[in-house]
Formats: sequence, structure tokens, C-alpha cells
Amino acid sequence: MRLHEHEAADIFENMGIPVPRRGIVETTDGALLLAGEIGYPVVLKAQVLVGGRGLAGGIKTASTPEELEEFTGNLLGDEIKGLPVRKILVSQKAEISRELYVGITVDGFSGKPVIVASTEGGVQIEEAARHAPDKVVSVHVDPAFGFHPYQARTLLKSLGLSQRLLISCADVIVKLFKIFIMHEALIAEINPLVVLPNEGLLAVDAVLEIDDSALSRARFSVPDPLDRIENPLERKGKEIGVTYVDLDGDIGLISSGAGLGMATMDIIGQRMRPANFLETGGGITEELLYKCMELIMMKVDLRALIINVYGGINPIHEGAKGVVRYIKEHNIELPIVAKALGNRQEETWEIFRSGGVHVVTEAATEAVVERLFELVGEGK
Amino acid sequence: MSIFLDETTRILVQGITGKIGRVQTHWMQEYNTPIVGGVTPGKGGTTVEGVPVFDSVAEAVEETGANASVFFVPAPFVLDAFYETVDAGVRFIVVVPEHIPVHDVMKMRTYALERDVLALGPTTPGILVPGKGKMGIMPASLFAPGRLGIISRSGTLSYEFAGILSEANVGQSAVVGMGADPVVLTNLLDILRLFEEDDETDGVVIVGEVGGEQEEKAAEYIADSIKKPVAAYIAGQYSPQGKRMGHAGAIVRGSAGTVGGKCKALEEAGSTILTTPIHVAEWAIKNNLK
Repeated sequence: MRLHEHEAADIFENMGIPVPRRGIVETTDGALLLAGEIGYPVVLKAQVLVGGRGLAGGIKTASTPEELEEFTGNLLGDEIKGLPVRKILVSQKAEISRELYVGITVDGFSGKPVIVASTEGGVQIEEAARHAPDKVVSVHVDPAFGFHPYQARTLLKSLGLSQRLLISCADVIVKLFKIFIMHEALIAEINPLVVLPNEGLLAVDAVLEIDDSALSRARFSVPDPLDRIENPLERKGKEIGVTYVDLDGDIGLISSGAGLGMATMDIIGQRMRPANFLETGGGITEELLYKCMELIMMKVDLRALIINVYGGINPIHEGAKGVVRYIKEHNIELPIVAKALGNRQEETWEIFRSGGVHVVTEAATEAVVERLFELVGEGK
Repeated sequence: MSIFLDETTRILVQGITGKIGRVQTHWMQEYNTPIVGGVTPGKGGTTVEGVPVFDSVAEAVEETGANASVFFVPAPFVLDAFYETVDAGVRFIVVVPEHIPVHDVMKMRTYALERDVLALGPTTPGILVPGKGKMGIMPASLFAPGRLGIISRSGTLSYEFAGILSEANVGQSAVVGMGADPVVLTNLLDILRLFEEDDETDGVVIVGEVGGEQEEKAAEYIADSIKKPVAAYIAGQYSPQGKRMGHAGAIVRGSAGTVGGKCKALEEAGSTILTTPIHVAEWAIKNNLK
């Protein structure tokens, strides 16, 4: 779960990382009041969970109440990259002497946290690594040994930092690492970490993405994940416990695995257009597939549906019952082609056929898509 | 002798008394897998599918001589169970469950590597050696004995590839689910090395997907060290940027982890790129990999 900037900034502040004076508002009046307390100029930042927010017009500096009114009026209720702006972070404008970067992620290949620091803050770190590789340094952390201040100082020394800045910046990195471990983050990042004219530091952005698998044991009050999903179909998917990704085509898909679902989309996409990705994971029941059918049928202008499931960990015969019950209760006439292989496959085919579902018994998903193509053609 | 499973393998099922543990123990036994015991703390002294259940891994190893283990342990308890299993001397562990916190997996991986333990997963269907046995949840009817190895990040796609190959009379030496999480216990290139060294394997199929850099790192390794023919399919060309596609590790971040980038790296390393799964059969037959 990616946290909003203001949520991450609160966590950073509680750990003792210096962050700007700030507040969160939902109205222009609220913004005016807050900016008066903070003092102009202020930075207005739309709280939307999408990268490249600044370039898309989601970050503005207001030097006067008039400018602030104009910007908040425009931002609130508007969309940034398709996401509605409901909240704005009003923040003290920092005086920038220089901009640094510090970030911690999980390095999937080594299986260790990796700490990255750079003197090229304020830009995409991947860009900095390409243009000025000598100004980006990193260190992997042994999960058992942890990360200690001397390692942070060594890292920063190699970037040319010295004296008071070396110590204060090392302190920020060590605290960021504590947050990374304590909250089981996938990403913890400050970009930029601003160096003020007096050599003090200020984290003017805050990125924190928490591992979804660790949310049940989180040490902060976790916001409702459903609230952060804007697409109603994707929200319904999360509610019923499946992964649904909305696409702009018209061929629906239910699959029992992530890889199988992605591959089925790849094959559909050769001649038709996938309407969605839907993956049940290993929890198929009759009820779950009934709900998946409800979800699939919420998509407008659907031309057909592919069901592609394997009976490994999943009782696919149970799933088939849910699909057929939905078809019968709602008199569904949408063409549906299913491939269901593995444990109890023959039983599953019989159930599907009893609901008018076309069953393909070959192993290759190409065969399902071929059958569907014969039934409904290329479409628009 | 096959890699992973051979005549000396004696397998424990951890979490055997749970619903999935019971059902999957039944299917593994149906496939003549040498299951010698089960472990569920607090359920010692009972039996499941005729298999004795122990309270601890150490007791189970002591009583049965087990040297391998497959996990159906609920995600929050996996870290503890993993340490226990390694400490009991088990040297091959298959971690089937999904949704294990990544920070736990990082600890498990480090612990296993330092003690020379071979572990697969998390979020893996396990491993199946056709005709010899299986550890995990793979549906056995789709597999056939032969000389082609499969390594897959996705469970369901490992079944798809095995099914397509078996239908075309191309058998498999071993089918390995490497796991679909952002961090896995054994990386793709290390599993490739095992197949390269296996004298019962003539070629390898990599079934990858978007996200991470396992395939890119494997490509470097293939270029340097792999002599057997390799074909690769990478799923997810229609995955929108920034969306997790069901697997915790299947996410395109910016320009990293795309199908295009992975295919390019693997192709430059000399591997054959399969645009969709069905092409694996003609590739195998053309390269005489049966």
C-alpha cells in the first residue's frame, strides 16, 4: 500500500526526520487559514497516489492568498492523471541550497534492502543514475546485521559530504532505515532531501509504500485500502478478494492464476482486446466465482468471456457451480468459453456445459481464444 | 538420479492438518511421492492420510529420517517454521504459501543461503519430477516424463507449459516453480545452473513475467555459462504500468520490469523467445528435446 505524502510525512516526523511545517486541507478556505499560519510562500501539493504528480500540474507554489485561492480552486475537484484531487497538502516553502536524494527499496535479486543516496536530488533517481553515475551510491544491508550509522557515513563520504552535513544526513538515513524495517516497507524515499542555507535538512517529499502482506501486523493505524482504489470495478475486486485490473477492451477474463491471466491477455490481445485482468489466486469456491461473474458483468459493452482455470490448489468443480448458478439466475446470453484442466476436470466440464458454457479441452490457451474468435469475431 | 527428488528423498508436510495440507498430501501420495511425516505444533501423535504427525520438525526428522519438507503453513507462521526446519537439518524446503511478508522472506533467504539450504518459493506451486513425485500443488495429470526442464515464476503457467508439451509428446525432466514474490528463496539463475548440471535435462524453458529483474540477471548468466538450449516466454505485455498483476512481484515500475526489456536481454543472450505459450512445443521438437 502506497501511503499519501502527508501520511508518510507524519511517520517520518515521528521518527525525528525534519519535515516542513504543513497541514492537509479539503477546501480553499481551509488552505487560506493554514497558509496564514505557516506563512507565505507555501507549496500546494495534490494528494494523489500517482508518480509524476509535479509534471502533471499537481504541485504549485503560492506567494499570495490570491494565488493560493486560484490554485486550490483549480486543483480541488480536478483530476491529476485521472485521479480526483480531494485533499491538498499545504506546506512551508523551503529555501533550497542544494537537493539530495535518499531512498531504500527491496532489491529483489539479492533479497536485501538497498540504500541509495545521491547528490542529484529532485529528479528521478533512475535518470540521475544514467546521467551522473558517480553521483549515485548504494549499499546493501544484511537483514540480520541491520544498518548502522558508520555505514551511512561511509556511504555519504563517498558522495563527498563532510562535517556537519555528513552527520545530519547519516542520521536521516539511519532513521529512514528504522522506518523501513519497523513498517515493513517496500519503498521509503525522500526526494529531495533539501539542504537549507544554514546547512539544516528538510525532507520536502515523503514516499512510503508498505508491503500489503504485512499490513495485518502494521504498527500504525492502517487506512482502509478500499478508499484508495478509484476504479469501482477494481474496488469491487478487492472487496471480494480477487485481483481485478480494468482495461479498455471488450473480452472479459477470469483466470485462476496471475501468470495464466497475463498470458491469456497476451493471447487475446493478438486479435481482440482484453477488457480486464482477473485473477482469483488459490481461494476458489462456488461463492467466489459467483461474485466474479457479478464483477465481470458490471463491465459495459462486454462481447464475450474467457474462463481459464487450473485445478491444482483450486477446487475448479466448485468454481464452475458458481459460474453456472449465476448464468441461470441472470439468464446470461453472453458467449462464454472455458478451459479448465487439472484435478476433477471432467466433472468441471460437465457442470460448465450444463450452463451453456463452451468447453475447450486442449491444454493451450490459444485454443480457447480461437474458439471465442470463431464465436464473436474481431469486433471493433 | 534427478535433481530435487531422487530415491533417497524423504518428505515432510508442514501444516499437514490444515484443509489444504490434508488435500494436497492426498494428491502427493496418489503420485507416489515419498511422504514420511507431517508437522503441526500441538497435533503430534495424530495421523493424516496414514502419515504420522509430529509437534516439531526435529522430532519428525529423528523419527522418520526426513530430509526435505513442503510447507502449507499459514503465512504469518512461515518465518518461524522455516527457521525450525533449517535448524532441524532439512536441506530442501518448498514454501508453497503466498502473502508472506517480504521482510520475512529476506530473513529466510539469508538464513538458508548461509546454511547451504536449497529452498523454493514463496508463492510457488512447488516442484514435480514426472514419474518420481511432487512437492506442492501441481496437478499431476498434465505432466509426462522426459528431458526438458521448466522453470516458472507462475504456478498456473507451469501447468500450461507442461500440458502443451505433454500433448505434443515432449516430456519433462523436472518442473520447478521458482515463486512469484518480489524476493524468492532461490533465484532463477541458480535454478538454471542446477538444470545445466543435470545429466537428465537437455534443454530448459523459462516462464517469466513482468516485474523485477530475475530474467535480466538470468540472461547474463545464460550468455556466460549455459550451453543447453533455452527458450523463454514472458507473460504480461498488456500489464499497465504501476499495477500489481496478482503476484506481489508482478509490477512494472517506470521502465523497469517490462516484457520488452526482459525479452531483449534473453534474446541477446541467445535464448529463443516464445511470443505465446503454444510455440514451446515446436521449439522443443525442432531442438529434439523429448
